[in-house]
Amino acid sequence: VKASNSLSFSLQAKMSRPVQARRLEGIDKNIWVEFVKLAAAYSKANLGQGFPDFPAPDFLTEAFTRALSEGNHMLHQYTRAFGHPPLVKVLAQFFEKLLGRDLDPMTNVMVTVGAYQALFCCFQALVDEGDEVIIIEPFFDCYEPMVKMAGGTPVFVSLRPNPPKDGKLMSSADWQLDPAELASKFNERTKAIVLNSPNNPLGKVFSRGELGLIAELCVKHDVLCISDEVYEWLVYDGKQHIRIASLQGMWDRTVIIGSAGKTFSATGWKVGWVVGPNRLLQHLRTVHQNSVYHCATIAQEAVAQGFQRELMLYGKPESYFVQLPKELQQKRDWLVQSLDGVGMKPIVPEGTYFLVADISQFKSDVPDAPNSDEPYDYRFAKWMVKNKGLAAIPLSAFYSNAHKNNYTNFIRFCFAKEEATLKAANDILQKWKQEKTS
Amino acid sequence: MFLASQNFCCHGIRTCQLRTDLLSRSIKHSAFATMPFRHKNTRRIEGLDSNVWVEFTKVAADPSIVNLGQGLPDISPPSYVKEELAKAAAADRLNQYTRGFGHPSLVKALSQVYEQVCGRKIDPLTDILVTVGAYGSLFSTIQALIEEGDEVIIIEPFFDCYEPMVKMAGAKPVFIPLRCKNDGNSASSADWVLDPAELANRFNSKTKAIILNTPHNPIGKVFTREELQVIADLCIKHDTLCISDEVYEWLVYKGNKHIKIATLPGMWERTVTIGSAGKTYSVTGWKLGWSIGPEYLIKHLQVVHQNTLYTCPTPLQEALAQAFWIDYKRMDDPDCYFYSLSRELESKRDRMAQLLKEAGLKPVIPDGGYFMIVDVSTLNVDLSDVDEKQPYDYKFVKWMIASKKLSAIPLSAFCGPETKKQFEKYIRFCFIKKDSTLDAAEVILKNWNKQ
Repeated sequence: VKASNSLSFSLQAKMSRPVQARRLEGIDKNIWVEFVKLAAAYSKANLGQGFPDFPAPDFLTEAFTRALSEGNHMLHQYTRAFGHPPLVKVLAQFFEKLLGRDLDPMTNVMVTVGAYQALFCCFQALVDEGDEVIIIEPFFDCYEPMVKMAGGTPVFVSLRPNPPKDGKLMSSADWQLDPAELASKFNERTKAIVLNSPNNPLGKVFSRGELGLIAELCVKHDVLCISDEVYEWLVYDGKQHIRIASLQGMWDRTVIIGSAGKTFSATGWKVGWVVGPNRLLQHLRTVHQNSVYHCATIAQEAVAQGFQRELMLYGKPESYFVQLPKELQQKRDWLVQSLDGVGMKPIVPEGTYFLVADISQFKSDVPDAPNSDEPYDYRFAKWMVKNKGLAAIPLSAFYSNAHKNNYTNFIRFCFAKEEATLKAANDILQKWKQEKTS
Repeated sequence: MFLASQNFCCHGIRTCQLRTDLLSRSIKHSAFATMPFRHKNTRRIEGLDSNVWVEFTKVAADPSIVNLGQGLPDISPPSYVKEELAKAAAADRLNQYTRGFGHPSLVKALSQVYEQVCGRKIDPLTDILVTVGAYGSLFSTIQALIEEGDEVIIIEPFFDCYEPMVKMAGAKPVFIPLRCKNDGNSASSADWVLDPAELANRFNSKTKAIILNTPHNPIGKVFTREELQVIADLCIKHDTLCISDEVYEWLVYKGNKHIKIATLPGMWERTVTIGSAGKTYSVTGWKLGWSIGPEYLIKHLQVVHQNTLYTCPTPLQEALAQAFWIDYKRMDDPDCYFYSLSRELESKRDRMAQLLKEAGLKPVIPDGGYFMIVDVSTLNVDLSDVDEKQPYDYKFVKWMIASKKLSAIPLSAFCGPETKKQFEKYIRFCFIKKDSTLDAAEVILKNWNKQ
């Protein structure tokens, strides 16, 4: 009788605890699940989720096909766990040029399942319970739950808009960090800062001076820098993407993250990488070998060939890294005009394929609901996709809970879309404007 | 030393110089004081950096070595599988993101195949998660459901990643060995069994889960219904979860049947079953796997997935879906790849066993999987002069690679610290190899005794 009493006690104890681990607390919600579903159901022009609806470049898809037809059938088997040798080699060659330092493909580069998994490895390898991680708002939404899952505490600091006084359209450059405010976020518990430049969703390209400020604080407080540079090739108006790892004192404390999906317009291939000092990458390797271990071989082979082509054409007009930003700049300008023409005020992005617009003038269509627990822009974006067929993402999705209500009049559009899609979006906007004025 | 300048540009060379001086002084100060601490690994990965594969794949990478070590096929995947990938590669829309928890056509195909196998309805959207290989499935499951304070029972020998994954989740691995019932004279994987009393002893109020691997890597054991029932009874009694790694589910040899523990009464609700495209279709490099189970468990794996890598590659998932449809339609036909592969492998198994016996080795004939463990103690190879800190089998494999140009994996890589002595006379061979590889192995084994 005693034995069965203790047994049922232990069963009760177990059943009273939730089945899932505590590390999942507060990270179960995800904006994409809802908004991707809505776009799939309602959108006629999908400028929501960030992926191109134009094809990946021929040279890349041809590389994949070639690997399948000519390649050894061993391309269907495991490759080197930390990265397919041809890919890590060409990444090392590429980044040696860009960073101006020697790189060992075996220890300074690791391939991951998209930049997403690279971020995961960084947080799991480097962030412990009790560590603080500074996140600059607005931020790509996964940083916060990943920091929490690693037991860390996210500390937010916002980019603040300084509208131009001459009435011109705002630029992403007008959103800036307050140096004193930024400095105040650093303390002895600060383990890392996440930098995303070019920034999703604003499109901000951090200047050398701004990076210098962050770098000084990192060095002063001995803080690591997780540098998400997936949009590194998408910079406009002759601007330059500067890699914080190339600033003084930063190489040893920075992990650079990149993405084939964004580089080569093939988000579905899920090939990403990290570049950094061995002292940091060794810990990322430990996480990687205990979580996914290998990445798919054939996609890595094709991406390697893509990079080999770009290495040969680097800086030349035929380089995809020259052509893609040119094309996207035109699309950006087109969408800016389109939005400005109807009264949505675009913030002209310096980089990425995202654009944020101020929808204050459209508020009458979706009335305020003071009792709603959803920020205004969420309700607006949902209403817009359901009623107008135009999909976009509310900007407050990219803010912490504490600051979600600070910027509720903005929505984010993705302009990596074919002409037909952008035209369809324009038609919807024009019709909408006409309805408002009549 | 904080520079409160609002204007971030250098005003001139002197200012830049001043900033550089201040900066380099600050670097020296903080570098000296704190850099080693900051760049240390997190607690969760403490001690998890070494890995048997990193050690042995490097050694065996030499092309002159006949590699029967790492579990990867050198046979070609079936041609229709390769063709489906070529087709998927040509479809432009498949180069962009698909559904995070699994490409719709793939989860649909998986639900159909497994409904057939399990005899129960499986919802493709809520009961299935597609992951980066079964490895990724194991990780998602353990991260979702296991935490500090939990104990997880692991049956030895075990696929080596179970232990570090349980530790990374902050939990305590509790080991229980399979024991050879014929007092060390084992001819078959069926000779290796769990002692029911010993197993029952391992369960307590902290036991969150047991990891089951059937067919078993490395021994090749196919757990019988009775054996599964013993485990199931304990899971139900102690309200324990079961993580069932069934990647070799189709590779069972004549006279054996793979039984899914999730189909035993009371088990569906508490089991996550893991499968692998790599093992099903001989495409380990596609790195696609899946977890199947009740919604109330799978939803937590989905949360992990959306916070770790979000989506798996699209073209590979589409190709896999199409391959599954082809075989789903012929699940009643013996030509279905699920059955034809195991027939192909059975003859390789038998050949491998024969060669090993002729060389004086004692293979344990597996009932499933594509590995075979071999007792090498009968050869009496004296390695006492070699570095003593490594177990005998590690030394033996290294010696065998160097002197016989044949590689395998030492079995103690698959054991917890207490049982290394029990298993160090065994090494593991992989036999999913093309004929020419087995021919080369034959030459080595035939000449073994001729120094």
